[in-house]
Amino acid sequence: MSIAGVCLEKPGTKVALTGNEAIARGALEAGVAYAASYPGSPTAEVLGTLSRLAGNFKLYAEWSVNEKVAMEGAAAASFAGLRSLVVMKADGLNVALDFAGALAISGCRGGMVIVLGDDPNAHSSVREEDSRNLCKAIHLPVLEPSSVQEALEMTREAFSLSEDLKLPVVVRCVTRVCHASGDVELGELNRPLPVPDFTRDNRVITFGIQLHALQEQKLARAAEWACHSGFNSYTGPENPERLVIACGPCYMHALEALDMLAATGVGVLKLGVTWPLPHQLLLKYLRNASEVVFAEEVEPFVEDNVTSLAAMQIPRGIKFYGKRSGHVAGPAGPGIGELDPDILASSLAGIFGVKYETPGVSGRAEALELLGEKMPDRELAFCAGCPHRASFWAVRAALELDGRGGIVLGDIGCYTLGMARTGYNLLQTVHCMGAGIGLAGGMANLSRFGFDRPIVTLVGDSTFYHAAIPALINARYHNSSFLCVVLDNETTAMTGHQPHPGRSVTAMGEPARTVRMEELLQGVGLPYVVQDPYDVEATIDVVCNMLGQEGPRVLILRRTCVLAAVRGKQKARVYVDQEKCIGDSCGCGRFCSRVFACPANVWDAAGGKARIDEAVCNGCGVCASLCPQGAIVVERAVL
Amino acid sequence: MPGQELLVKEIMDRGLCSSCGMCVGLCPYIKTAGDRVRAIYPCGIEEGACYGVCPKTSLDISEMDMFVHGREREDHALGIYSGIYYARATARADGAQYGGITTALIGLALREGLISSAILTGGDIMNPRPVLAATPGEVNSCAGSKYTGVPTLLELNRAAGRGLTGIGLVGRPCQVAAVRKLQRGKLPPERTYSDRLVGLMLGLFCFWSLSSELYGFLARETKGEEIIKMDIPLEGPGVLTKTGSRRWRVDEIRPFINKSCNYCFDSTSEWADLSVGSTEQDPGWNTLLVRSGQGRDLVELAADRGVLEIKDYPAGRLPVLRKAALNKKMRVLALAEKEPGNGGCPAIPDKYLREMNVQWGGINR
Repeated sequence: MSIAGVCLEKPGTKVALTGNEAIARGALEAGVAYAASYPGSPTAEVLGTLSRLAGNFKLYAEWSVNEKVAMEGAAAASFAGLRSLVVMKADGLNVALDFAGALAISGCRGGMVIVLGDDPNAHSSVREEDSRNLCKAIHLPVLEPSSVQEALEMTREAFSLSEDLKLPVVVRCVTRVCHASGDVELGELNRPLPVPDFTRDNRVITFGIQLHALQEQKLARAAEWACHSGFNSYTGPENPERLVIACGPCYMHALEALDMLAATGVGVLKLGVTWPLPHQLLLKYLRNASEVVFAEEVEPFVEDNVTSLAAMQIPRGIKFYGKRSGHVAGPAGPGIGELDPDILASSLAGIFGVKYETPGVSGRAEALELLGEKMPDRELAFCAGCPHRASFWAVRAALELDGRGGIVLGDIGCYTLGMARTGYNLLQTVHCMGAGIGLAGGMANLSRFGFDRPIVTLVGDSTFYHAAIPALINARYHNSSFLCVVLDNETTAMTGHQPHPGRSVTAMGEPARTVRMEELLQGVGLPYVVQDPYDVEATIDVVCNMLGQEGPRVLILRRTCVLAAVRGKQKARVYVDQEKCIGDSCGCGRFCSRVFACPANVWDAAGGKARIDEAVCNGCGVCASLCPQGAIVVERAVL
Repeated sequence: MPGQELLVKEIMDRGLCSSCGMCVGLCPYIKTAGDRVRAIYPCGIEEGACYGVCPKTSLDISEMDMFVHGREREDHALGIYSGIYYARATARADGAQYGGITTALIGLALREGLISSAILTGGDIMNPRPVLAATPGEVNSCAGSKYTGVPTLLELNRAAGRGLTGIGLVGRPCQVAAVRKLQRGKLPPERTYSDRLVGLMLGLFCFWSLSSELYGFLARETKGEEIIKMDIPLEGPGVLTKTGSRRWRVDEIRPFINKSCNYCFDSTSEWADLSVGSTEQDPGWNTLLVRSGQGRDLVELAADRGVLEIKDYPAGRLPVLRKAALNKKMRVLALAEKEPGNGGCPAIPDKYLREMNVQWGGINR
């Protein structure tokens, strides 16, 4: 909401912040000195906020090349005695996991906090991974804020806990908290920073099982701390028979759901520390309970760990309701997707045997009916003027022209949308950062078994730096024959135009030593061609030619993300000459609006001709070059 | 009239497209790369111009004779023509094939304003490309035969879009047929091109064209040397490079013959204004068939201006040429019989079939 609020030096004041801003504020209040991240939703704005404030504080902030490097950088600061923060989405932990697991063993020195953004329902992710299971596997404590205020406080306190335990602490924050806005009460800023040092006497080594024993001791201490932490709280009767255990935003949902059901006598135990579990606290409320309901997203993490605790500690049977029993479930089934007050109210009503009907008047069906045709039908699509649209059209055209049934392997970025209609359904695989290139190499190596289809893999520029290089080296080393197309829009577009090593500026706005993609490719020894995808015909030719070549080879389709390109500039005016457009008589079958399908190309049903939605159009002019009648006019080309 | 879906099914997917280029650029869905022409996206339109102008879809020989020449043919080997000659250019363009009369005639037509520009095959043997030539110099730079299918007619669509008229055209028989189909009005009314779009059609003799696999073969055989000239006389295909010449047996390049050519009925561009080929006898001369009044006018002008030297076609050669053309037709008929309902083969009226059989038999006797 407000960057000013994040750096406001008025303790006790309430300001409106987003969850991500609250995390940034919490880190600043804790005296964070080093922050690193690779951008990913839902937590991209944490480092974005910190980097903008780096000048106001004694703070180093960087967009790292990937999450593992980010975590290593932050760990180094911690080893030298500073407080450090590393931020990533759940998928990022997978990238950083090798180091994270080792770091959990070696431990850290200055307080180190790992903010993990989980995305239940996969709003802006390819999966809804629950990172808590990995945190448990590598023995890291996990805090889970359920509100914006808690996001601030937990981040701040996590630094102290980390410093006490000499162990990084995870703050797991889901989309509904990261992206929510709320009033938060500010704490003190300007915590004095130590002078970093790491002398010849300092050793932080991951080796031997005695350290494993130390990890278990640290977690036992964390569990002890959790039992007394204010982040866990209980409301309800002293010895509840019915108990709801909730964490994250599900705590709020649970309170609301119980209110909607007018259920009384139900205890609600909020867990702010979900790993390690506060055993004594849990046992206190489980002792007399006969029915226990779990409200959490996404996996039954607390559920599994609490039921296992109860099995060992409580001699009588308790009825547990949750994802395992199938009672707590959204429309897609237990453990899939987000929960909300309505889902929880329905679930609780079923468990407690009371009647509950989804609110009628403001119900979904009525709302949709009321909105009727006013709601524009929007599918996932590239922005108007997106260079990827031109690239996907050209690659598709070239593959058809090539005619050998070439395959296309995808990757992670805006262009992941290319698996859908907006990318002409081109992508056949989508997995994780850089996976398309490794897969392409593997497919190419099948040639010795007779696999002879041309192989194309599409990767973005940020992903190229993040995870593509080892796979390209492998391809060069084994002479795996495929065409790697880098869709270079010169930014990390999907997450909000964060800079990457190909850019000339850092997160803090300082000039950077650009790592040129061409130089990297030269270094690896891969041949490459650079082409502007807006010139569709030429791009088709280049892709056709390169499809016919052998060995690993790279085509850089370079064109700045249109949203970045037009920022602050007057856009070119593009319009359809209504004399020249001959509508359905053309034989193009409404190519611009129906097939090429840029959101700015619309069909004027009344006039029976094509039109440009000039409010949406970004003036790239690619449609003008593809219209068979030459009916689209570009007035001032600026791009 | 069917559309892209059938064009893809009947012609493209069966390898029967001859890469004439007539459908390229009519819509945003049919594109070309090198010698390939493919539909890159299903347009979903049931009735499309692409199917109508394709020379490999329904084409009735007798109807086409009537449309182009105003009468049915008597000669089933060479089609309708008013004269056959040997001819050569008095000033042969560099790189021109045999007598060089194609380049000379197009250059003359351009200089005289009979055409505004010409659609030709430029580039070289290994990298031929469509060219819209607007000057005699550009025409000369396209001299010399290329042996792979080049979709040069895409330039016709492009030129029509620019509003050009009076365009001259040098093409293979399938390309001549495609333009004649276009002229017969196989476009939707709103898209119909000007009647004056094409000013002259000079068709080439063509028994088959080769696929782009030829390039790999030539590159291997010549070890990457630059090829100055190629031709395919009776002795077999050969190339001239800077260091010498190479010649192969026809069987060595036979695998590269485009499948569509096996179904082609026309080896002498029967619906052109003028048809030009080799003599198979004297490499310094061309065979010239004059088919239309317009073609006659240009040849007479060329003779008047001393651009061409023209002499009678040797009487003894005519049966040889006719036999070659009829043999090709008979091979197509045999193939069509073996694969009934196959697209890519024209419809031949019964009358034509009967007469053709008589004429073919006559030759054999």
